[in-house]
Amino acid sequence: MSASDGNLRDQIIELLPRLRRFARTLARNPHDADDLVQIAIERALAHAAQLRADGSVAAWLYGIVRNAWIDEHRSRRRRESLGDAVPAAENVGDPAAGSPEELLCVQDALERLADEQRLAVSLVLIEGLSYKEAAAVMNVPIGTLTSRLARARETLQSLLSDAAGEPL
Amino acid sequence: MRFSDEVLMAYVDRELDAPTRAAVEAAMAEDPELARRIAAERALRERLRAAFDPLLDEPVPAYLLQLARTAEQRSAHTPAPLARARTGRSMWREGLALAASLLVGVLFGHWVLRGAGLGPVVTRAGQMVARGPLAQALTGQLAANQSATAAVRIGISFRSNAGQYCRTFSLRAPRLAGLACRAGGQWQVQVLTRAEGPAAAAGHYREAASSMPPAVVAAVSAEISGSPLDARAEAAARRRGWVP
Repeated sequence: MSASDGNLRDQIIELLPRLRRFARTLARNPHDADDLVQIAIERALAHAAQLRADGSVAAWLYGIVRNAWIDEHRSRRRRESLGDAVPAAENVGDPAAGSPEELLCVQDALERLADEQRLAVSLVLIEGLSYKEAAAVMNVPIGTLTSRLARARETLQSLLSDAAGEPL
Repeated sequence: MRFSDEVLMAYVDRELDAPTRAAVEAAMAEDPELARRIAAERALRERLRAAFDPLLDEPVPAYLLQLARTAEQRSAHTPAPLARARTGRSMWREGLALAASLLVGVLFGHWVLRGAGLGPVVTRAGQMVARGPLAQALTGQLAANQSATAAVRIGISFRSNAGQYCRTFSLRAPRLAGLACRAGGQWQVQVLTRAEGPAAAAGHYREAASSMPPAVVAAVSAEISGSPLDARAEAAARRRGWVP
């Protein structure tokens, strides 16, 4: 996959639904998520020359979204650190698979993970990347990725079974 | 044979080589506890996927497609202007979302008024406002304890970006769903749309009501600030008369 001009644009466009979903695992507010995607499109095209000829365009773009999130997330957390401790929301309503309430419930649980654990969950469990691909996006050895993933899963199991795991 | 959590996880994630995979499967057949642990891992993975997968079907906003087609592509050594003011575009986008939701509201408002007599809403100065049982339910009903046979079902309640209290609702007949926000002492209906799905029998009403139509989901996503209210915050907001 080379990063020749028209080709890269087409590949970005094709990947946009997945990049938007990935961004939504990181930013709950859809506008914030699309802002991350927008930054990623701009950076990807501006730095197209950095895409290695043998590299996966998808993994490279996920990495750019991740970096944009880390930048925005850290500065936002600094702004918010003086104020409100976000209450642990237990959602009312009846979460059903694929429902917006269920999405909010899962997003709540993801938000309570450490950033790097949350990225591991997003990339592997939601985006379906292999361990090798996800480790490359996160720029860590595979062993680091899998231990983050294992800890994150343990936390999610307890958060989600308490919150809304009851069958309807 | 004992397997570590990481091996089981790798099994669920399809990362094991064939011999180890076969060993896990053989052990699973003998060991119900092992099978249960794997089922729990798999269920978690499926639950996460199921929550986020519907987002893949959302249409990609035109401005992102446009950007991907037209933003300048640079070679390695050209400095790129990354910092951009995003405020203007955000306002434009919110305006567009508002216009779209008003349009949906007006169209369905007409449909409701024509199709079902006076209906659950009236239009005042171009704004749809909840009336009758819908208005009463929005003001008085708590999602945490509502009857499965209620004519109006409340979904989630939350604070909007503008600071107002907003609540999603669905009506049993006519089958409608929508979003209303409290402003000026009335419930202003932001979106009202036909609820999808089969006519619900009493026992299935709860499930049917929890899948909101896309127009409602889009409006909630655009309006919500933070998390939905939990049961306690919902009750407290009702006590204050939905005044922020």
